[in-house]
Amino acid sequence: MSQRGFTIWFTGLSGAGKTTLARLIEGELKTLGYKVEVLDGDIIRTNLSKGLGFSKEDRDTNIRRIGFVCNLLTRNDVVAIAAAISPYREIRDEIRAQIGSFVEVYVRCPIGVLAERDVKGLYKKALAGEIKHFTGVDDPYEEPLSPDCTVETDLEFPEQSARRIIERLKEMGLVPETAGEQYTEEDEEEVRRRLEALGYA
Amino acid sequence: MSSLDGIRGGREKRVVVIGLDGTPFTLARRFIEDGTMPNLAALQRRGTLLQMDTSIPDISSVAWSSFMTGANPGRHGIYGFLDLQPGSYKIYFPNSRHIRAETLWDAAGRNGCRSLVINVPSTYPARPIEGMLVAGFVAVDLNKATYPQELVPTLREMDYRIDVDARKVQQSHDALMEDILVTLDRRIKVLLHLFDNEKWDLFVGVITETDRLQHFFMDAAESEGSKYHSAFRDFYSKVDGFLGQIADRLRDETLFIMSDHGFTPIEKQVYLNRWLVDNGYLKLKENARSIEDIEAGSTAFALDPGRIYINRKGKYPGGNVDEAAAGGLIDEIGRSLRTITSDGNPVVKRVYRRDELYSGPCFGLAPDLCVQSNYGYDLKGAVNKKELMDREVFTGMHTQDDAMLYVSEAAEALAADRPHITDVASSVLDRLGLPVPGGMDGRSVFHRS
Repeated sequence: MSQRGFTIWFTGLSGAGKTTLARLIEGELKTLGYKVEVLDGDIIRTNLSKGLGFSKEDRDTNIRRIGFVCNLLTRNDVVAIAAAISPYREIRDEIRAQIGSFVEVYVRCPIGVLAERDVKGLYKKALAGEIKHFTGVDDPYEEPLSPDCTVETDLEFPEQSARRIIERLKEMGLVPETAGEQYTEEDEEEVRRRLEALGYA
Repeated sequence: MSSLDGIRGGREKRVVVIGLDGTPFTLARRFIEDGTMPNLAALQRRGTLLQMDTSIPDISSVAWSSFMTGANPGRHGIYGFLDLQPGSYKIYFPNSRHIRAETLWDAAGRNGCRSLVINVPSTYPARPIEGMLVAGFVAVDLNKATYPQELVPTLREMDYRIDVDARKVQQSHDALMEDILVTLDRRIKVLLHLFDNEKWDLFVGVITETDRLQHFFMDAAESEGSKYHSAFRDFYSKVDGFLGQIADRLRDETLFIMSDHGFTPIEKQVYLNRWLVDNGYLKLKENARSIEDIEAGSTAFALDPGRIYINRKGKYPGGNVDEAAAGGLIDEIGRSLRTITSDGNPVVKRVYRRDELYSGPCFGLAPDLCVQSNYGYDLKGAVNKKELMDREVFTGMHTQDDAMLYVSEAAEALAADRPHITDVASSVLDRLGLPVPGGMDGRSVFHRS
């Protein structure tokens, strides 16, 4: 398969599920034979953007660096997947313009749900004022106005969100129509028959 | 012995895991003692064979997911061969993409360790790994079962079979036995071929024919008068031959041989949804075919094998039980279930509340109660049964406390004498000299070196 590079850009609040989805999509695309690289915001801040803080200027620099690497990967026919809060619309649009083949995925989850889930324990600290400049609490998050795909992680399982993203990539002509199929209806019927044969269904 | 002993990956320490799906510890011990499995006997003399507990429920999808992630279902998210879609009574079949926790081979791969993973159940569709993976039950299409795709032509040339066709039993037991033996032969051929010719640090190969044999011929294991008694033993001799071929190939690798659950003969199949109907907890439409045919007013329902769910308001479209009332109902159903008897014998061994068994991010998917039966009473979730108990074609059922684990080290090296299936992944990583990730519940069976 001749592969064309593109960038999938996950944006959304901390804990919304960007990394989880990035990894699921990475797995799907690798199964299809794509070369894929994930740029995870949390990891990038420990190396490429080490030392940067959370002021608007530092956040913009961080995102521009991730965008720069995504651009390099994309033009070398790799699928670059960025998973970073990337709260400012202007910078996301700037990167979209640079890369061209760019898929913005808005990972939406209400802040009330995130604060309740609080997987990393950060919301509690932010709401108590122990962490400053926390996006969604005392720092702004600018929702995408026209994302290529929106997933609602409070309402869907990650696999369902991933499936919708793959469907969107198909619609955009970035992956072949057959991509991401799990069980076809015939497969599912065969699974049912096999389970029945062992007394499980 | 082969001139090749597998091409070494990049690591100094290597590990081999051979899975024997459903082989009971007690059966393995019996076959060691009566001479049916001389190679396993020889291995036991220089290693340790232990009885092992497995997951609850003790079915392969849950057990192998617990093995491969070293985690409880509350972390990996697999509670059965089928589950309900969120906010619905519609069934879906969980597959590899629903496993939420990191697998042993992903953890090994992150550390530059190359794995060959062949025929582990619940790995379909094949996900990319550092190495090669051929998915096991319930794999449907060999292309989607195989990573990377370059391996598919080899598997086809070798006439590899993903699984036994258990439907052959409808033809005859002879036809099924023949299918089991042919599938085993081809499985062994491919396992040894890949062992010898591919590069690996971690080799995981599973035989599933053991499980298929025991579902349909477990009575033959127990009864010398059975037509299939010698065929059953001959089958295990073949499996033992394979273990011998693996043992001959080993140099300094650590060998694990494990099963994912035990087996015992069935007395009766017990239909929990029938019990829930008879006791006023469940209402089903006439000629119900699945739990989608639940009717208004139901307060609980069951899924295979012993999973009971409270029909909670807000969780299910026909939910009928307030959160405040759920706790009392769980206690009441748990108490009543313990009173089920068959010919005066108690059917239920223990009823677990979900917080006794599970923890982790997938806790919300867990059944409210898990029923564990006494040996002989196979719990089922069928909705179309008019009687509480009957007998079907199956003669064997799974057991939770009689899986096996062999390790090629003396008992003195072991810290545990009664491991749990979630301990295997940590033990394997330990012997590969790799760190155990924080998401694993199990602990290495070895003393800290």
